Amino acid sequence: MQGRKKSHTTRRRRGLVALGVLTAAALAAVAVAQGGGLGIAGLGSGPSGYVGKGGKKVGSGHGFGEVYKAPSATLSHALFSAKLIPGAKKPRNIALAALGRSTKKVNYGLALKCWQNNGCKTGSGGKLTVAYVEGFGENVFRQMSRMEFILQALTYPQIGKIIYRSAHSDLNQAIADFKSMIAQKVSAIVTYPDFGDAMIPVFQQATKAGIPVSTYAWGYVTGPGKNYTTVVGEDTCKLGKVFARVMNKQISAGDIAFMGGFPGNPLSSSWQECEQHALKPSIHVVANDPTNWDPSKVQGIVAGILAKYPHLKGLSYEDSAFMAQGGYAAYKAAGIKYQGVFTYRTDEAALGCLAKKLKNPKLKIYYYTSGNPQIRVALTADMMKLKHAKISPTIVFPIKLQQQSKRSMCIKGYPEQASASSLIPLKLLHRMYP
Amino acid sequence: MVVVDAGSPPSPARFRGLAGASGRTLTANALLGARFLPVWLATAALAIVASFEAPSAFGNTSWSYVLPYTTVLAVAALGQMLVVMHAGIDLSTPGVIAVGGNLIVGISAGSDHRLWLAILACLGAGALIGFTNGVFVGVLRLNPLIVTLATGQIALAWSSKYSRDNVTANPYVPKALSSWATSKPLGVSAVFWTGIGITIMVALLLRYSTVGRHFQAVGANPRAAWVAGLRVRTHVVLAYTTAGTLYAIAAVLLAGVSSSIDPTFGSAYLLAPIAAVVIAGAALSGGLASATSTWVAALALTFLTQMLVIVGLSAAMQYIVFGGAILAGMVVSGDRVASLLGRWMRPTRPVARAATGGQGN
Repeated sequence: MQGRKKSHTTRRRRGLVALGVLTAAALAAVAVAQGGGLGIAGLGSGPSGYVGKGGKKVGSGHGFGEVYKAPSATLSHALFSAKLIPGAKKPRNIALAALGRSTKKVNYGLALKCWQNNGCKTGSGGKLTVAYVEGFGENVFRQMSRMEFILQALTYPQIGKIIYRSAHSDLNQAIADFKSMIAQKVSAIVTYPDFGDAMIPVFQQATKAGIPVSTYAWGYVTGPGKNYTTVVGEDTCKLGKVFARVMNKQISAGDIAFMGGFPGNPLSSSWQECEQHALKPSIHVVANDPTNWDPSKVQGIVAGILAKYPHLKGLSYEDSAFMAQGGYAAYKAAGIKYQGVFTYRTDEAALGCLAKKLKNPKLKIYYYTSGNPQIRVALTADMMKLKHAKISPTIVFPIKLQQQSKRSMCIKGYPEQASASSLIPLKLLHRMYP
Repeated sequence: MVVVDAGSPPSPARFRGLAGASGRTLTANALLGARFLPVWLATAALAIVASFEAPSAFGNTSWSYVLPYTTVLAVAALGQMLVVMHAGIDLSTPGVIAVGGNLIVGISAGSDHRLWLAILACLGAGALIGFTNGVFVGVLRLNPLIVTLATGQIALAWSSKYSRDNVTANPYVPKALSSWATSKPLGVSAVFWTGIGITIMVALLLRYSTVGRHFQAVGANPRAAWVAGLRVRTHVVLAYTTAGTLYAIAAVLLAGVSSSIDPTFGSAYLLAPIAAVVIAGAALSGGLASATSTWVAALALTFLTQMLVIVGLSAAMQYIVFGGAILAGMVVSGDRVASLLGRWMRPTRPVARAATGGQGN
């Protein structure tokens, strides 16, 4: 009996020791994690965006507190070519004014602090308050857009305060956030309307209150120019047609697949419909699946498509980084060579670096820009509106796909999840993602 | 395949009529087993449907996805099962998996040498979150739904910040882990074999160890267990702590399978483990559960997801069919079929008949 009791006690002690070891390990991990905190010292100041070697300036003229000129290096970095700015005069001027601000010096330490703390006072003494409000802000693309917004805001001395809100995918929270901005009487709002037309009433309310509201990355909500100021982005239908052009040229006949984001989202359905119609009859779209822009879901979807169509010739999708993660993992697990014709809407470094490593000439990747700098254009449009400029309801950038083998997405020193066409200075990017 | 059930604590009252003076009869044992039978039959039915509608679901390519992801879901569901056995629920699963995955990448920093430390930290974090849940639920008697939702949110928020500072720049897991996860001993994923090992171990521990027996007794009837001298609160804390550790193991496996971490890592594991446990026949009110049936339920859910993609249904139809399948699974699971069978198999009692006859005629 006594021996039994002893063994019980020993076992209990062992259990407590095991729990203690695991807890200590967790605490050590927490300590390690906290040790990796970001410092802002020694960042100094510099241009608000990529200026490269400068080069000649594109554009001419000025008005509403803006100069309609931008360095060609900046335009080439953000849009792949200085020629790919909107063609119409008004949108073109807004785009040039916004991207031209990349030469203005800003305090990087302040920008980082503002990014980490979800807002800040700029210390300029300016009277304006600008807000970036979005429905979901937890992925790298959105985090980078937030930094682009902050950098752009810091180029305006009249802006004294920057506010940021994410609704964490909660529609009610998104509406509440927006209403709170109206109640605080902010001067201008830039948003990514993750909940589409459900945001119309609050957009209208802000417009009625005299607050300009602009969206970016083709965050289209019905009634730009009426319900809100403007939408900045590329023509997504045209994007689909350009994808189809690549497929028609590279594939004589065979099966291809589409993947999209959340079911029914306007971005995916727009380019998919237009690509489908522009494909030649010998190319068949055998699958069209939503991925919710979730890499782990991407792996399952690609595995499912490959199970039925192991000889898939091509695939069109938005996010290139997810195809470097989940997509590649599915090919690898299935033992199928990662090759074919792939067209993407974004240009994260991850896929470019993977392609570089694989060195497979049969892996043909074509991509467009992620469009983070479009948020700068949206803010500048708002600022010009505050100076009573007439803003076009849409600011649309022309599209030209790039080929990975000719212009690699893999840029040395870039975080893998970062878009290669972002204008965030590399020095700052490294402090954001050490 | 070795099939081991979690074992059977004292017979439910409804089976008492079938039990002799010395304990359960053979019929009662069969009925208790029948509680877990529907998920096996449903999985078999799913396989038959798939063989006609989506034969490529049985190809190597499909299994290369289904088996590892089944294992991740099954391990998380086993943790959930331990909590459900004590009439609890754990919504901190995505939080623990997110923290665990991020710690693996953040601490190892891509180096195989630091992988062991990273895995230890991951398991420690899981145990710590589980222990916290256990203390709040078992000792302070707070509502498990709210407590685990809150701790899960805190874990998610912390992992989001940690991910931004330490993971995003290089989100890839050390090569040793991803290579192990994609290796195929005996032609089948190493992750799968690990999951089978964990499932058998949990089942054996629950059935044959003293702790396991006590664990079940507390789950089946905490008051009776307390009267019998068992430490009820300690067992509840133990259930949540073990569950947290199992979620952390699921995080290690998931990190290996997916090779990289992203901001949504683990988000798919909020409701799927609960669905697997319930479809497997466990009652949310606590008590009986089967580790092997939980594993089969995880296989059925993962296979169904894959099959729907292969069939090529539209997104809307995929959601409808998946939701319908879960509802159907819920309807046939648990003791509904068992009680129906019980009524059908119940021997006619002469006394009862005499009484009825006497009154009626």
